[in-house]
This record gives sequence, structure tokens and C-alpha cells, in this order.
Amino acid sequence: MATVESPASPQLRSGVEPLRAGQGSSFIWRKLHSLLGIVPIGAFLLEHLLSNYEALKGPLAYGNQVKFLNSLPMVRVLEWVFIFLPLLYHGLYGFYIWLRGKSNVVYYPWAGNWMYTIQRYTGLIALAYIIQHVWRQRFTGVMLPENPYYAFHKVQVELSNPWMLAIYVIAMIAICWHFAYGVWLFAAKWGITPGVNARRRFGYVCIALGIGLACLGLAGIFAFVGPWYPSAPIPTP
Amino acid sequence: MAERTVIFEIKRQANPDAPAVWERFEIPWRHGMNVISALMDIAGNPVTADGRQTTPITYDSNCLEEICGSCAMLINGKARMACSALIDNLEQPIRIEPLTKFPLVRDLQVDRSVLFENLKRVKAWVPIDGTYDLGPGPRVYPQQQETNYPLSNCISCTCCMEVCPQFNVETGFVGAATIAQVKLFNNHPTGKVFKEERLRALAGDGGVQECGYAQNCVEACPKQLPLTTAISDIGRDVVVQKVQDWLRS
Repeated sequence: MATVESPASPQLRSGVEPLRAGQGSSFIWRKLHSLLGIVPIGAFLLEHLLSNYEALKGPLAYGNQVKFLNSLPMVRVLEWVFIFLPLLYHGLYGFYIWLRGKSNVVYYPWAGNWMYTIQRYTGLIALAYIIQHVWRQRFTGVMLPENPYYAFHKVQVELSNPWMLAIYVIAMIAICWHFAYGVWLFAAKWGITPGVNARRRFGYVCIALGIGLACLGLAGIFAFVGPWYPSAPIPTP
Repeated sequence: MAERTVIFEIKRQANPDAPAVWERFEIPWRHGMNVISALMDIAGNPVTADGRQTTPITYDSNCLEEICGSCAMLINGKARMACSALIDNLEQPIRIEPLTKFPLVRDLQVDRSVLFENLKRVKAWVPIDGTYDLGPGPRVYPQQQETNYPLSNCISCTCCMEVCPQFNVETGFVGAATIAQVKLFNNHPTGKVFKEERLRALAGDGGVQECGYAQNCVEACPKQLPLTTAISDIGRDVVVQKVQDWLRS
């Protein structure tokens, strides 16, 4: 006797995996990424922009600042442990985070979603810029740790190329944006500002921080290209 | 006099492996109609706009008053509840698609069991089972109720997960709804017995750390749950729990 053929239940494609409760180590890596963005990277950014600001006082003052920084105890160790390695990790892991997110700002063009997307692009600009910046200013050309008073001249030659100047200005704005919103994100995600009003108010603080840092950084850049020290000679201390 | 009509473009798929096709429908306008009532009208007379006979459209729905959480779908590209999507407020032609982040069953029906599985993995319940009468539960003060009630409004519609850029196959992120329920049950005087287990669960792969704080969840939530506040609070609680675990291990 023939039986009624019942359709087999459809074989569903696998979707998003459920939570791997208590398994894996992505928590520590992700939190490390988040923390490193504030300390030491953010702290170093502040130091770097403040140091650059010394350039407004002229080649000698700038050279003195470079000399001071390079006279810190164990400066090469500090440089690698607190600057290069954290930057490398934050940049590469950040890129990995970007690859795993699926931006949908086209469909949901909300403010937070825009900021999510912009945070990724500014991060990429920052990573690309920092790689060339460290390579060209720290590891090639005149070695500034040994010749701190060449610092102003080295940067001025670099910025005499208008394309390079444009790259520096764009990267400065992108980095200050990325840091300022990163501070806001840190406070939100680590539960420092859980309240809606607290997040909004802290948002204003971070906007001021970002604008302030960008102004500070741009002022430092224009010390080299402005009318104050054209083709400055190497100062003698 | 020309009868007033409503035009729909609906993305259909006969089974998980079939190709997706768009069908266009033109149905008579009725006062106060919503997307679900329109889908019912189409089911009553499943004929496309060009006069071709077709099958009724498959979709999930139940309560028709935005409380059961069944009928989430993409309406004009946005994830929302179909029952509360009033036709008069929508731009035509109204494009209807299934949610994109969940395995498709047929037409507009998707399998959202990942949310149920996530809720189980964080023990999103109050444990009261026992072999004897446990007596009345502890009192929940009105101040606590003020915090907890909005979180208890979750209808498991998965809109927050659909709109989340981090909720995808790569991350396996748990999504805002489950995190909000962890906060709800951790706040409960009896439910908090599982607090540490829930927080440890959320530190696993796909846990709260995957949140990118795009805040789409809180924008999309049809029940206005304070999802970003919950993620923030639970994010802190998970860090505190993990630090304690490391220091006490």
C-alpha cells in the first residue's frame, strides 16, 4: 500500500553559534586591547603631542625635549614595552576586530552606528600612518636618540613635502578622533558610565578632549611649516 | 472610482536551499491595517499583482499586539515587529524580507532558537524547583522593580541581534537581549544565586566583550529596553567577576 509521502523537515543552514559559556580566551584578549588603548597608548599620545608642542618654542627647545625623553632610565625598554608592542597589538587586534564585524550603517544610519564604523576607519588610518611615521622618523635617517638636536630639522624636511604634510594633518585628526571616542567607548563598555545621561555628558567631555588634542597636535605640526622657523639650522645647545 | 490599494514586494524562498524570489502584491487598503493583517489578506487570496496564483506567505506571528515577539522581519529594510508596523506610516511599495542573521525556514519564517539557547547558557531563570515548599520568595522592593521591570519587557524578538554589527557567524556574539536578561536575573533576590555563573558564562567566547557599542540594539528595540545600560553594567560585573576569580584561584 502506498503511503502518503511526507516532506522531510527542512535542513536548516547553520546560523550564529550560541554563546560558548565560560570557554575560550577572547575575553582577556579583547579587554587587553581595550585597556592598552587608554594606557599606555593614550597616555603616550598625550606625552607625544605635548612634546611636539615644544616645537613652537623653536628648534633648541624641541631638541631639549627629545634629549630629555631619551635620557629616561631604560628608555629603549620603555619604548618597546610601553609604546611599540602595545601599539602593534592594539593595531593588529583592532584590525582583527574590524574584520569580524559586519557594518550595516547603510541600512541603519544611526549616530552610534556611524561612530562604530568611523572608529574602524580612523584606526586603520592611524595604523598605516604610525607604521610609516615610526619607520621614517625613528628607524631611518638621522638617529634622533643619538642626535636629539637634529629633531626639528628632520621633521621640518619631512613636512616640507606638501603630500606628507597633508598625511600628517589627516592622521592627526583621525588619531585624536579615534582616541577621544575610544575613551568614551572604554567608559561605556567597562561600566564606568552605564547611565544614559552619564554617557551623554561624558560624550561632551570626550568631544572637548578630541578637539583639544587635535588643536594641540596641529599646533605642533604648524610649528614646523609656519612662518616662525623657516629652514631652521641645527641648533647648538 | 479607483479603489485604494497597498503594494507589497515580498522576498520569498520555498525552502532553505531554494533561490530567493521577489513577489509583488497589490491588495485593497483597509483602515488601520498593519503588515500582519496585510499578510493575512494575501493568504486569503494569494494572487500576485500580475494576476498569477501563488502560495500563501509563511511567517511567524501570534499575539498581534507587539508582546509575543514572533513577527520580527525586515520592513523597508529595517528590522521591526510586523504587527505594529502600520501600513499608513510606511513608504510604498512596502518591501518585506526575512531577518538575515538567522537560518531561514521558509519565506519570512526564520529559526531564532539561538536566542533560546543563549538564555539557557546563562541560566536566565529564577531557580525555585525543589522537593518541598520553599515558601514565599523574598520581597522585591519598588526601587528594585523600577530597574527590573523595563528589562522584563523583553519579548525575545531578536531585533537587537539582527541590527547588531557584531552579531554574526564570525563572532558568535551572544547579543544584547541575553545580556539584558542576565542583568534582570542577577538583580532578582532569588535569581542572583546564579549571578557568578552567569557572569562567567558571559566571559566566554561570544560573550559581552564582543560588543562594539554601535548602540543599534537600543535604537531598534521595540520595547525600549535599556540595552546599552545593561551591557555597560554587565560588562563591569563580568570584569569584576573575572578579576576576583583570578585573584582567588
